[in-house]
Amino acid sequence: MNELVSLIPILTIGIGAIVVMLLGAFTKISIKILARITRTIIIIALAITLPSLFSEQFSYYVYPDIFHNMLINDSFGLLFNLLFLLGALLSIYIGNVYIEKNKFFTSETFALILFSLFGMMLLSMATEMITAFISLEIASLSIYVLVGLNRRSHKSSEAVFKYLLLGSFGGSFFLMGTAFIYAQTGTTQLGEIATFISSNIEKDMTLVIVGGTLVMMTLMFKISAVPFQAWTLDVYDGASLPVTAYMASTFKIAIFAIALRIFLVDFQLIQDIWDQLLMIVTIITLIVGSLLAVIQTNIKRMLAASSMVHSGYLLIALASTGISGTSAAPSIIFYLIAYFLSAIGAFGLLSYVSWDTKRRTTYEDFKGFAHMHPYLALIMTIFMLSFAGFPSTIGFLGKFYIFTGAIEAGYTVLAILGVLSAFVSIYYYFRLIIVMYFYPSQHGAITLTSRVTPIVIGLIAITVLWGGIGTSLISFLPGANNFIEFAQNSIASLFISH
Amino acid sequence: MILSIMIFLPIIVTAILFITRSNLLMIKSFAILSSIIVFALSAYLFTNFEATSALQFVEQYPWIPQYGITYHIGVDGYNLMIVMAIAILMPLIFLAIWNRQEKGYWYNLLLVQGGVMGAAVSFDLILFYLFWETMLLPIFFIMGLYGYEDKIYSTLKFTLYTLLGSLLMLISILYLAVTYYNIHGEWSFLLNDLKALPLNTKEIFWIFFGFIIAFGIKIPIFPFHTWLPSAYATAPSGAVVVLSSIMAKIGVYAIWRFLFFLFPQMLGNYAPYLLAMALVGLIYFGISAIMQRNIKRIFAYSSGSHLSLILIGLLLLNPYGWNGSIYLIGAHALSSGGLFLMVAMLYARTKNKNVSELGGIASQAPLFSIFFVFFSLAIVGIPGTSGFVAELLIILGAFEHSLLVGVLSATTLLLAMTFIFWMLQRVLFGKIKKSTENFYDLKKNEIAALLPIAILILVMGIMPQPFIKKFEPTVTDNLALEISYITEMQK
Repeated sequence: MNELVSLIPILTIGIGAIVVMLLGAFTKISIKILARITRTIIIIALAITLPSLFSEQFSYYVYPDIFHNMLINDSFGLLFNLLFLLGALLSIYIGNVYIEKNKFFTSETFALILFSLFGMMLLSMATEMITAFISLEIASLSIYVLVGLNRRSHKSSEAVFKYLLLGSFGGSFFLMGTAFIYAQTGTTQLGEIATFISSNIEKDMTLVIVGGTLVMMTLMFKISAVPFQAWTLDVYDGASLPVTAYMASTFKIAIFAIALRIFLVDFQLIQDIWDQLLMIVTIITLIVGSLLAVIQTNIKRMLAASSMVHSGYLLIALASTGISGTSAAPSIIFYLIAYFLSAIGAFGLLSYVSWDTKRRTTYEDFKGFAHMHPYLALIMTIFMLSFAGFPSTIGFLGKFYIFTGAIEAGYTVLAILGVLSAFVSIYYYFRLIIVMYFYPSQHGAITLTSRVTPIVIGLIAITVLWGGIGTSLISFLPGANNFIEFAQNSIASLFISH
Repeated sequence: MILSIMIFLPIIVTAILFITRSNLLMIKSFAILSSIIVFALSAYLFTNFEATSALQFVEQYPWIPQYGITYHIGVDGYNLMIVMAIAILMPLIFLAIWNRQEKGYWYNLLLVQGGVMGAAVSFDLILFYLFWETMLLPIFFIMGLYGYEDKIYSTLKFTLYTLLGSLLMLISILYLAVTYYNIHGEWSFLLNDLKALPLNTKEIFWIFFGFIIAFGIKIPIFPFHTWLPSAYATAPSGAVVVLSSIMAKIGVYAIWRFLFFLFPQMLGNYAPYLLAMALVGLIYFGISAIMQRNIKRIFAYSSGSHLSLILIGLLLLNPYGWNGSIYLIGAHALSSGGLFLMVAMLYARTKNKNVSELGGIASQAPLFSIFFVFFSLAIVGIPGTSGFVAELLIILGAFEHSLLVGVLSATTLLLAMTFIFWMLQRVLFGKIKKSTENFYDLKKNEIAALLPIAILILVMGIMPQPFIKKFEPTVTDNLALEISYITEMQK
């Protein structure tokens, strides 16, 4: 029974995607209603998933006889699924006016969002390489199309072309790696690979190591770690704002779901092979990302470059898991939550103020913004502070956990480098705050219509603050300590043996 | 509970006022009301504070239990003075700036009050870090929004400078906590737990380095001071008073509270170097003040010079020095607070900061001149003012430490005194210049803000005993502990 329940959310999304697609194709249904249907579908899935968050950590294969241990349901996947669902839901809520006003959002948009959601959810539950690859591609392909929705925009077309080519190329490494691993172990099931690794010596596992490296390359590509970052800025910039919000906050997290599952648990024993590699990638990602972010004049591109820096922080944590692994692994999840909230909020706010098809994404456009829209400016400030890791926001605790984990693992140098890039990030995040507050207003107030959007963004901002300072004294809101509890729970569930 | 109320009342008031979009009068009234409540609580705190070295009014709750982060606050002899200074100065600042029309100015001053209070009473390193960083933010906004001239440049410089220090400190804090975790198998960020951890010399050097950069920038001590003149020159009065009277003091206090306490075993080794740095600062800032013609910069440097003196007192590691430093924290907070408020009033009236273009104020505004002379003399420590007691103690301690330190600090103070007389003569007397033609005397709200400060300076100057006796036990006990550590190391 449990097993069936665990499949209901993902089935809801999958069937919902098909229904929405057919509705869009065969009926003259308006975008507005379609958006409502999509939201309802996601909310149903969310409502079914949510209660399990508060239960004890758990982990079991779903219908092992049917799926041959390809799918697992555990606290880890559950937390990620919740984030994906929330991410999609919030993206749609925040972008609702933008989506209605811009004609290039057709009915397929919602079907694609649901399909990508389906892919990501499957990805977080997958314990088999081929399944993981297929779900990764389902998600990726939907995102490619979403990026290129605005066919008349050159930027958008350029973005989708770049993303599609590089993305498919990057994705093929995953398949290649899987083939190598299969060649040596004779299996693609993660648990069986782990057994193979633990029962053989390193010398006999050359192909597994090569395969693992290739798989890692794909994942590095997807989180835009340097040197696989070339696509990032243009794709983030070319995609329409709600899509960027969805991509930056949600899709990025999905990659970490599979990366953690593979490298934290199943490749754990040989993980130190990649230590040097990971460290180098981490260092150059932090440096290049910071430099790129500093020189941007467009906030969207700045956020894209800074998302690389955030990948860098996450890589610090990933590199630190190898040795002690006690606090570094949960810190990744916590950081993902922190980043997710800030990213969806910041991009959401950008798309909210650009709803009337005028792009307002440069620093210049935000001059004096605070004098016209004090609340929105305050909310944006909160997100920027959280990105920068300023205390009293959830972003600070995220960095705090990561740096603690790094020092604990003996990577004090990485922690110092992380702190230095956090220092550089103060410059580009505070620049937006300075522009919003310290310059006279030049553009006049922006007429804003939607009432839902600012409330949703405001709630996210409150969560960002509360996640940084809150305690469990107030029980209905998860405070700072609850978030880390979720994170620890979900990591612990990865290590439950079957 | 009382300390928590003192921290969070201004913050909660701000949040409510902001959400309800209150009008200016409401904001002003509630700002003053809340700061008076905080002051009343602090008076209660002071009278009920027992003159022992024990930590009092302690509150301790788990905050993030998974990492042993605790909400742990309290008052002992050392931070009592700072808490009092904050509680006394804030309502007076509000009074002095009563005519400022900008809502944001009031909001941010309220927020900063909560921030500095929190930093002054935290005994958990992460909690301290939280307040230490967040108290910067309101100052950032005040400086950037309501500053003068090059405000954006100096705001950014100040912010980046201080944040760099804080971030390095964060690494130091984390390193300490991880060391504790490796030994005990559980997390803790409590100051008491992280004390005297078995670290090797190299580790201690770097951790020490992280902390001293953070505190050194905030105070500032030479050579981390380059943000100081531009920040003081461009920031509006409220921010300057908070920076010089409160935040800088918290920086010095933090050196004592955290560095002395966390690394007692190493202090014997580092104290001479720090002392040399502080002496250089004392003299350098003193001379820089004399070289300036911009009145705001003059007092910026003079404030820096006094802060170095406070630091010297601490590093002397004898009872005179310590008692004198703590007393000077309170005394200088008051006199510099009064003086910077007056400099802002001067600037508001003349729109001129150049000493050479001021003059003849005494004949037009006698009351203003009396207060101005009084605060200027109080800041250099004329007998009868609180600064005198404090500086005397430090000089005594300096001579007890060594002749060189004694002579150097005493001469610098004398130099400063003569210089202040020169400056007063130029500004207040002489011919009336163009910029001082329409100089009007103090207004009621300004008198109301300045008078309590002046009275308190006199009271603290004439009767230091009731104040000193509150913190003396803390000093005696901690100093004994410190010296026993140092002698143990030398063996």
